[in-house]
Amino acid sequence: MENAEKIENIQYAIKVEDLHIRYKTLKAYSIKKNLLRLKKSEVDEFEAVRGVTFQVPKGEIMGIIGKNGSGKSTMLRAIAGIFSADEGSIDLCGNKVSLLSIGVGFKKQLSGRENILLSGLLLGYTETQVREHMQEIIDFAEIGQFIDMPVRTYSSGMYSKLAFSITAILESDIMLIDEVLSVGDAKFKKKSFNKMKKLISNHDRTVMIVSHDIQTLSDLCETVMWMHDGKIKKIGPADEVLEEYKEFMK
Amino acid sequence: MFSRFIKDLKQFGGYTKYAAKSQLKSEVANSYLNWLWWVLDPICFMLIYTFIFGVVFNGKELYFPAFIFVGISMWDFFNRCVKASVKMVRGNKAVVSKVYLPKFILVLIDMMVNGFKMLISFAIVIGMMIFYRVPLHLTILWFFPILFVFILFTFGCCMFLLHYGVYVEDLSNVVNIVLRIVFYMTGIFYDVEKRLPKPYGKYLSRCNPLAYMIGSARNAVLYGRAPSVKLLLVLLLVALLLIYLGLRLVYKNENNYVKVI
Repeated sequence: MENAEKIENIQYAIKVEDLHIRYKTLKAYSIKKNLLRLKKSEVDEFEAVRGVTFQVPKGEIMGIIGKNGSGKSTMLRAIAGIFSADEGSIDLCGNKVSLLSIGVGFKKQLSGRENILLSGLLLGYTETQVREHMQEIIDFAEIGQFIDMPVRTYSSGMYSKLAFSITAILESDIMLIDEVLSVGDAKFKKKSFNKMKKLISNHDRTVMIVSHDIQTLSDLCETVMWMHDGKIKKIGPADEVLEEYKEFMK
Repeated sequence: MFSRFIKDLKQFGGYTKYAAKSQLKSEVANSYLNWLWWVLDPICFMLIYTFIFGVVFNGKELYFPAFIFVGISMWDFFNRCVKASVKMVRGNKAVVSKVYLPKFILVLIDMMVNGFKMLISFAIVIGMMIFYRVPLHLTILWFFPILFVFILFTFGCCMFLLHYGVYVEDLSNVVNIVLRIVFYMTGIFYDVEKRLPKPYGKYLSRCNPLAYMIGSARNAVLYGRAPSVKLLLVLLLVALLLIYLGLRLVYKNENNYVKVI
């Protein structure tokens, strides 16, 4: 009983319960193929996430590690609301969530400024909110007068700098990061890594990071979740789990 | 479901408008003459049809070019929206797989873009009416309710195609053929009711919603004839039903789309 009370005192930001995600029968079919092969196509089912249960307390930074195809990204997308869960539930306790991704909805013909607005609106912010942060984004991206040029004239470095700045400056309660983004030249890389660090160490923000880089995770995270074949193999303090993972991968 | 629709509209309305605007903008960004194509395109087709069906096949409708133009404007809108919605989710993979977006918003953006082009077309129709000295009738006011029903109907159709377009890879081939059939059945360049042998013309113009809507829009604008209110109301109901069923289908499945593409 005492234990239960204790748990209730912690505020959770993400509660995931018995989450299953399947890719099934969903193979797109073509009419032509179906006509040629009258036999009904077999149901293909692949379960990417198989019964995952965990909670993330508010303000925590949780890393997710695991080999390729262990369901990390799929789970992250489900939390972001892009996939629906086939079984189980995801409760975000009313928080605003965003999957950190670069250059969503960019239109190459438009200027950087217009793309900031477009991308911001797509991420669910209002026009006034985006306009308030506009200057901050432009300053952070350090692309100077190019901001009023069409994005198609940007170098690839400038493109990703601008894209990163938008996601970094427009914040949300829960941030989901699929592979820590490293963009731009060495200087910007350092700056963006520091910004990232500052962003995620804000105590009101809950963060989940998927990465293969053990160093990054041990730098940034308090807790690490190790996923293996769609299940949680281990979840606990960063150093402990990462040590074991390192052993396992040898 | 209705409240969810309203909520989504509110939340993403700003994005929808801005995305439509920037879509139009990026279409003209390359050259300042590009918007001319929004005007030239329907005019050229009108000239072709006027020549073929007015001169070669001896079409006799009054104000023939304007008659065709109203038809083309509305048909183009329907045609473009439907064709685009089949490939909508696949085409927007970059966006759809990164953020949650109610999928009907994608259709809405496209409809706004095409709607804007339709408006330009209608502006040309006004010009033609002045040129041909078409007498102005009060029935022209009927044009707006007809257009309203027409847009709702298009939205309803697009919802279904949006959904099935995700799962059926070669649906666009089928849709292209069906659209071509519907195009000829709709009488863009002839009057369905007059040209077809006796009973069939009437059936077709009543049973093909597009033929009916385009026909009555022409009657209202050019010939001063009001549409049948009863039929229009029936069509409104059909359109709302399509939207209801289509939207329900999309809402139920939209989070699985990303798994397929």
